[in-house]
Amino acid sequence: MAKIPKKNNLQVTFSKRRSGIFKKASELCTLCGVEIAIVVFSPAKKPFSFGHPEVESIINRFLSPRSSSSASLTSLMANSGLNNQRVLVQELNVELTQLLNQLETEKKREGELEKMREAGRSQRWWENPIDKMGLEEVELLKSSMEELKKNVTTQAYQLMKVYSFGYGHAGLF
Amino acid sequence: MTRKKVKLAYISNDSARKATFKKRKKGLMKKVSELSTLCDVDACAIIYSPYDTQPEVFPSPLGAQRVLAKFKKMPEMEQSKKMVNQESFLRQRIMKVDEQLKKQRKDNREKEMTRVMFQRLTGNGGLQGLSMMDLRDVGWLIDQNLREIHRRIETLKREAQKQVMATPRTGNNSSTEGANVEAMVDQRPTGFEVNVETMQRQQWFMEDLMNPQEHMGFGGDEMNILQFGDHGHNAALWSSPFFP
Repeated sequence: MAKIPKKNNLQVTFSKRRSGIFKKASELCTLCGVEIAIVVFSPAKKPFSFGHPEVESIINRFLSPRSSSSASLTSLMANSGLNNQRVLVQELNVELTQLLNQLETEKKREGELEKMREAGRSQRWWENPIDKMGLEEVELLKSSMEELKKNVTTQAYQLMKVYSFGYGHAGLF
Repeated sequence: MTRKKVKLAYISNDSARKATFKKRKKGLMKKVSELSTLCDVDACAIIYSPYDTQPEVFPSPLGAQRVLAKFKKMPEMEQSKKMVNQESFLRQRIMKVDEQLKKQRKDNREKEMTRVMFQRLTGNGGLQGLSMMDLRDVGWLIDQNLREIHRRIETLKREAQKQVMATPRTGNNSSTEGANVEAMVDQRPTGFEVNVETMQRQQWFMEDLMNPQEHMGFGGDEMNILQFGDHGHNAALWSSPFFP
């Protein structure tokens, strides 16, 4: 494997940090009810921006000191939708948290399965990679696999027959 | 850093909210600064709060103006392409995590079914407890393995053939007519009867193969038994530099 070129590293770092910053900004808005705009350019000169409630309105507010009339109009427009937005954002946050928890659970499961795989490989030679096996072993494994395939196919047909007869016919688990 | 996990909701307590704001604002500005320096890119941040009449700005009002000017100069599409607000940002993250979750579940399922396959291979646990989906997945995995096994057999036979090429002919005349690599493979002089119904019945065989090194591949010795038809002619052919 070749060494990762620095340019790639930079892009990866940028991506991760940018995402992290946007996440922190979003949290700050939710927790403290403030308005934020962030604009960054990537190493490839592409613009990324985050804004709450909107990037545009914050930028305009900053760049041109508002006259009182336009100020009240924009804030009026903003506030009417603000509560709905807040509820929606809260729901999305809940959904995101749930998904992250589920992902963590699955990752833990992966760890367990990996351990079992390692244990299996050390105890049973046929669970090891096929491309390291000798001819006898692989022929042996082949016969067993073919046998199992036959049984699996048979069982599958059995199940299909049971399904077509309807439930409660044979012992359906 | 934090002692307990903060609930992501508006902090109703005024002083707590103000304190959190000060801390997090400082941290956020620091992160933006780091990004700008580490990646050598232009960046700016503007924060409006009820605690200040003037917005908090990074890097400075003038510096931010410069970055925003650069931003506004870009075509509309470029500007809005990667523009997000809270809602769209959260939706993006949800989509990403959802994909990761799907993939992780798929990988775990494969590992799980592989385990089931190996268990059933040696007759541990029947097939009755498996659903239609399980049976289908295990069947698929068996097919995958059989494909790999087939490839491995082909590779080993090819290697055996190469070995034969490389080995100088011997005067051994015990050949049968038209002996080929396949026949050689079957005539292994090791002498056991390989009669396999299931793995379990061949436990004694397993122990023999516990040290696979001795049986793996084909050593040069066994090759010498083989005889091709016309040695003289073939030898010249095999030793050609163009022979793959």
